[in-house]
Amino acid sequence: MHTFQKRALALIAAVAVFCPAAGHAQDKPAVKIGAVLSMSGPAAVFGIPERDSLNSLIKEGGGTMDGRKVDFVFCDDKTNPTEASRCVTQLISDEKVVAIIGPGTGSGILAAGPVAQRLQVPLLGPAGTVAITDKNNAFFPWIFRIAPNDTAGMESLWKQIVSKGAKKVAIVYQEDAYGKFGAEFAQKLSKDLGFTIVESLGVPYTATDLTPQVTKFRNAGAEAIFMQLSVTSLGASFLKAVNEVGLKVPLYANSGLAQKGFIDAAGPLGEGVHVLSIGNVVYDPTPPEQKLVAIMSKNGFKPQGWGDLLAGNGYMTIKAALSKISGPVTGQAMRDTIETLCGFETLSMGKGCFSKDNHDGWAADATVLTTIRSGQFRSDAK
Amino acid sequence: MLEYAFRGLLNGAVYALLALPMTLFFTTAATVDFAIGAYALLAAAVATAIPGPAGILAGLASALAASLVMAVIYVLLKRTSEGGIRVALASFGLSLAIASIVLIVWGTKPFVRQTFMTMFEFGGLRVNPQGLINFAVALLLVGATWLVLARTQLGRMMRAAAVNARGAELAAIPVIGVQCGTLLAGGLLGGVAGLLILHSSGMDFTASLGLTFIGFAAAIIFGIHSPLRCLAGGLAIGVIEALSAGYTSGMVTSMLPSLFMLIVLLSGQLGAGRYSGDRP
Repeated sequence: MHTFQKRALALIAAVAVFCPAAGHAQDKPAVKIGAVLSMSGPAAVFGIPERDSLNSLIKEGGGTMDGRKVDFVFCDDKTNPTEASRCVTQLISDEKVVAIIGPGTGSGILAAGPVAQRLQVPLLGPAGTVAITDKNNAFFPWIFRIAPNDTAGMESLWKQIVSKGAKKVAIVYQEDAYGKFGAEFAQKLSKDLGFTIVESLGVPYTATDLTPQVTKFRNAGAEAIFMQLSVTSLGASFLKAVNEVGLKVPLYANSGLAQKGFIDAAGPLGEGVHVLSIGNVVYDPTPPEQKLVAIMSKNGFKPQGWGDLLAGNGYMTIKAALSKISGPVTGQAMRDTIETLCGFETLSMGKGCFSKDNHDGWAADATVLTTIRSGQFRSDAK
Repeated sequence: MLEYAFRGLLNGAVYALLALPMTLFFTTAATVDFAIGAYALLAAAVATAIPGPAGILAGLASALAASLVMAVIYVLLKRTSEGGIRVALASFGLSLAIASIVLIVWGTKPFVRQTFMTMFEFGGLRVNPQGLINFAVALLLVGATWLVLARTQLGRMMRAAAVNARGAELAAIPVIGVQCGTLLAGGLLGGVAGLLILHSSGMDFTASLGLTFIGFAAAIIFGIHSPLRCLAGGLAIGVIEALSAGYTSGMVTSMLPSLFMLIVLLSGQLGAGRYSGDRP
């Protein structure tokens, strides 16, 4: 045998020994995964971090999972349910994806649910909207939530409000499904936890002055204010109004405002505001979150907030499902396998756990109460 | 109640400032520039990126540049058609394009500037000095615009351009030039409104259409032909919003201002025709 041939054989043997993943990647057929995220429109504040987190994980994994080549195909749902449905149809019909992370909003997932059911491909929704995993939906088997739902953690937040002595609470909420749901859920909790909602006011996204609302809260004798907002400029505008009216009561916010943009916009007025957060990847990351931070930083991305964690949940769910499937990977196989996943490796707080009857993968243990201190969300001691 | 009305007046002044460019352009071209909210957004975004007074100047310059693009689109459309609706639709397109550019360049971060941390206090009422500045600027600009339109040669040329473009051209009025100049002035006014909002409540990349709609509502409620009417419209909407926030709850709060506008427009009593000097 010529020296050259010997060297080539040795090289091939070395590759087979030291790069088993590469060998497997050729053994197992490649699969395609869809990512339908809100990369423009109002929900882009979450969609862009989700996209960045996903891209960093794809880069980190070298485009493979469990030794299988995995291609991610992205589609921007533009925060529009019709567009979300179109994206899902296109990715399944044209790109032949076997699972989709997204769409990016609850209304998008609800619109795309029937499509997923008809074309038999599971959707992994990064949205808190409770209705997406309602068992009464005909498409329930095909929707999995990769975020805590909108009620998770709220009870502990409200317990904290009451424990600090506030019995008369005012609520400001943005005029959409997220805002209204939070206000209504607080109303339900009020009976059990023993507080009274003295005022509950909706505000449009583009409100330019919120002092009348705060004046009303002051006149109603509110002892604390709860903000069910996710538009950061609206949250900052509300804090300005509180300062202008001179109302000095504790302020609490649901996870919609757990965004760096809120701190930046609120400036010194944000100090002391209590905010429920899904994990705390930017300021007080837990060990699994630190892994995600390291991966994102290594691949040139900056962690921005809980959008990063939710996309990470989607990625790790797909990875865990693919590693359990031994036969052909189809939408049906992915769906069936995801239902069996529990306690798999994640890059976020809480334990990811699905079952036949429970498609809410993450629960209240994925949330943490924080307080803004020195311009940062600092996790409260448990 | 007085407190709510006062706060509503301060906020309504900003609405009037958003309405003013629409009134101005309608007066000269009989159509509407729906990119006003986008000029405001762009000015706020640019001003946030550059610290100090230079940011304010750059914000105004960017709004002016964006309205220049609209002027070019306007001229191109006028060459092929007289239809005002095409201009209005094109301005919607430009508005979306500007909002997308803002999203691409500045991302999803909000645009807010803290100016005054200390409030004025009088009669038990705490007021942000920025609100008073907004009110004064709006009054000044609406008054100046009214004077130009009603009392100057330029104002007569502007009105003539809308009423009878062909006749105005025969009278040696540079109709397209006047209309483009109005678009540029509208861009500047939109930019000023954006900067005032930046220093008051702030905004984010989604704000452009919302600001356009509130400006349009303020412009049409009492008649789009006069700057004074758009001031009245802005102030009225501001006061109704504040009163409805003060005395109603839940979804009714945001429904009342729309209901008020609907009633005024349907009643026709305060519409453009009755008081604009038209023949019966």
